[in-house]
Amino acid sequence: MNAFLPLLRTNYRDFVRDRTALFWTIAFPVLFIGIFGIVLGRGDDGASYEVGLVMEDTSPQAATLGEVLSQFEALELTRGDRESEIASLADGDRRAVIVVPAGFGASISDGAPQPLQVHFDPSQQTTQQVVIPVLLRAFEVADRALTQTRPVVIADFQTLQSERLQVIDFIMPGLIAMSVMNGGVFGAIAMVSLRERRVLRRLSATPLPAWALVGADVTFRMVVVLLQTVLLVVLAVIIGGVAVKVENLPALAGVTVLGGLAFVAIGFFLGAFAKTEQGFFPVAQVITFPMLFLSGIFFPLDSMPDWIRPVVSAMPLTYLGDAMRQLMVGGAPVHSMALNLGVLAAFLVVFFSLAVRLFKYE
Amino acid sequence: MPVIEVRDLQKAYGDLQAVAGVSFDVAEGEVFGMLGPNGAGKTTTVEILEGLRIRDAGQVSVLGLDPASSGSDFKRLVGVQLQQVALYPRLRVHEVISLFGSFYDRRASTDELIALMGLEDRRNARIAELSGGQAQRLSVALAVVNKPRLVFLDEPSTGMDPQARRNLWEIIEGFKADGMTVVLTTHYMEEAERLCDRVAVMDHGRIIALDSPGALVRASFDEDAIEFVSNDGLTANDLGGLAAVTSATSQGSAHSIFSSDIPRTMGSLLDLAAERGAPLEGMRVRHATLEDVFLKLTGRTLRD
Ligand SMILES: Nc1ncnc2c1ncn2[C@@H]1O[C@H](COP(=O)(O)OP(=O)(O)O)[C@@H](O)[C@H]1O
Ligand SMILES: [Mg+2]
Repeated sequence: MNAFLPLLRTNYRDFVRDRTALFWTIAFPVLFIGIFGIVLGRGDDGASYEVGLVMEDTSPQAATLGEVLSQFEALELTRGDRESEIASLADGDRRAVIVVPAGFGASISDGAPQPLQVHFDPSQQTTQQVVIPVLLRAFEVADRALTQTRPVVIADFQTLQSERLQVIDFIMPGLIAMSVMNGGVFGAIAMVSLRERRVLRRLSATPLPAWALVGADVTFRMVVVLLQTVLLVVLAVIIGGVAVKVENLPALAGVTVLGGLAFVAIGFFLGAFAKTEQGFFPVAQVITFPMLFLSGIFFPLDSMPDWIRPVVSAMPLTYLGDAMRQLMVGGAPVHSMALNLGVLAAFLVVFFSLAVRLFKYE
Repeated sequence: MPVIEVRDLQKAYGDLQAVAGVSFDVAEGEVFGMLGPNGAGKTTTVEILEGLRIRDAGQVSVLGLDPASSGSDFKRLVGVQLQQVALYPRLRVHEVISLFGSFYDRRASTDELIALMGLEDRRNARIAELSGGQAQRLSVALAVVNKPRLVFLDEPSTGMDPQARRNLWEIIEGFKADGMTVVLTTHYMEEAERLCDRVAVMDHGRIIALDSPGALVRASFDEDAIEFVSNDGLTANDLGGLAAVTSATSQGSAHSIFSSDIPRTMGSLLDLAAERGAPLEGMRVRHATLEDVFLKLTGRTLRD
């Protein structure tokens, strides 16, 4: 008996004839990526951000800082006095304004740390996620040029994205990771629906082994998630202009499969408790919804308060998102790749064995 | 050796004793019927024999195996039609048959089954688009997709119009002609009378009679029945007192009188009706049926 291929074919037919499933797994993520791509898409590749520089110090050290900053292509420096630059910031004509206070050079020569005021509008996401990291990087370079021993700039931020990364580059891998999660977890609805309609019960009256049934379903969900990811990566490049690291695509496919399997396993686990499709949906929502906001998909992890960190660390999407961001656009690692893959594999093993143990035909 | 042997089978759902100790054998090549009203325990009994439910007590042997513990070795040998049709709603008729066929080494061809069940013009229809009767026919087709020696049909004619039901009866007679053993549950006494070699009459989880349909009727009745409708005036008591009447039952205005001498009873019935001025409508004379047997044994009809 070889029922595996016929079951795959059945899954395929059932899927492509199900408008709701098609909408959620294909149309919805495509719309999502499309909208984000259009709204946030990078303009010209060499896009730069206007940053005001207020020089209230005339020392050589201050001049060096200005020179370093002007070498960053992502920054379009405008010099001016404090009042007019801050006014431009308020008008939205500047992303940030850096003030180099009088006595800056003297303070550096004395070896004393010298804070630099950086004014910016925190409601501007691009500034938070792109300009600030670039500035920090610039300060680091300036720091090195001025003194090897002590930091000149005291900052509360820790993240350093690569300087060319823009919001779209940050968001897209996260959105794709989100689609993998949704495709996996909500993919389990098909099995719940078959149980609810008592089709599984009918199948249990045949010699079909459970592993073939579950194996074919999991395989099919995997293929869907993988194709979905391919489609979304292509869209991210075309619409969003995301600079995808082509050499990492095979690894990205591997991570998609691993992450997809982990989320399918979680979906099957949840599905074991649901008697009906109606019952499954809210449970799956409750599990996936917080992950959208807390696992660094839309908001960087370092913008979150400390007390929420344990929750964030318990979320598989945190690791999938990080892994995909590293591979797709060379994002700064939050965790090492080994940790990301290890955690996803652990989720897969734990939830798959639970799901198999809890699997019921009726 | 019998194909099925059941001894003192029991199954309860909580406090409800759905099957309260039934015993019977089914011989090779036999069409064995289980007749009883809804809730009698028919489905519970056959699904235990199919290996889909686990019994509480008793011995069961089907094709020499215990269905509860034999798994797929057992399941590849038998054919099963469940009372509720449950199939992939978005699949087409021929796709479902091919899928189920792929679960077995030994299988009938999809086209053959479609022709057998008269589903040629619904071949490409989705399951969700089938009428109740068509879905039921497909479900019977799936029960024989593995050319089983033994097939279980649980109320296969539910939802069918009379014509489709008659077609199905011919198909089941064909199964028997091919040497298949058939276990059939039904609450249609005509179906049991026409198809079954032997019938177990079930009520409240017990078998209250088991024999061939003819023998069951003969054991309860050696008389024929007069049936009619009369709106007023006549009671079962009046009718029981007529000449040559052995028993009389009334359900509202519908009356049945069993008589050992139809002409004498008829004469005295007409006299009584004339005397009371009671109308007699739809009068007919018929042989006793399994329905009568059930009514006599339980005091209720099969439809109750
Ligand atoms: N899974 C179940 N859980 C609880 N009660 C059940 C279940 N299946 C059947 N019953 C009850 O057991 C009795 C026998 O049901 P069933 O075997 O389906 O009878 P039949 O097929 O003759 O209509 C009924 O009262 C029914 O309500
Ligand atoms: Mg039943």
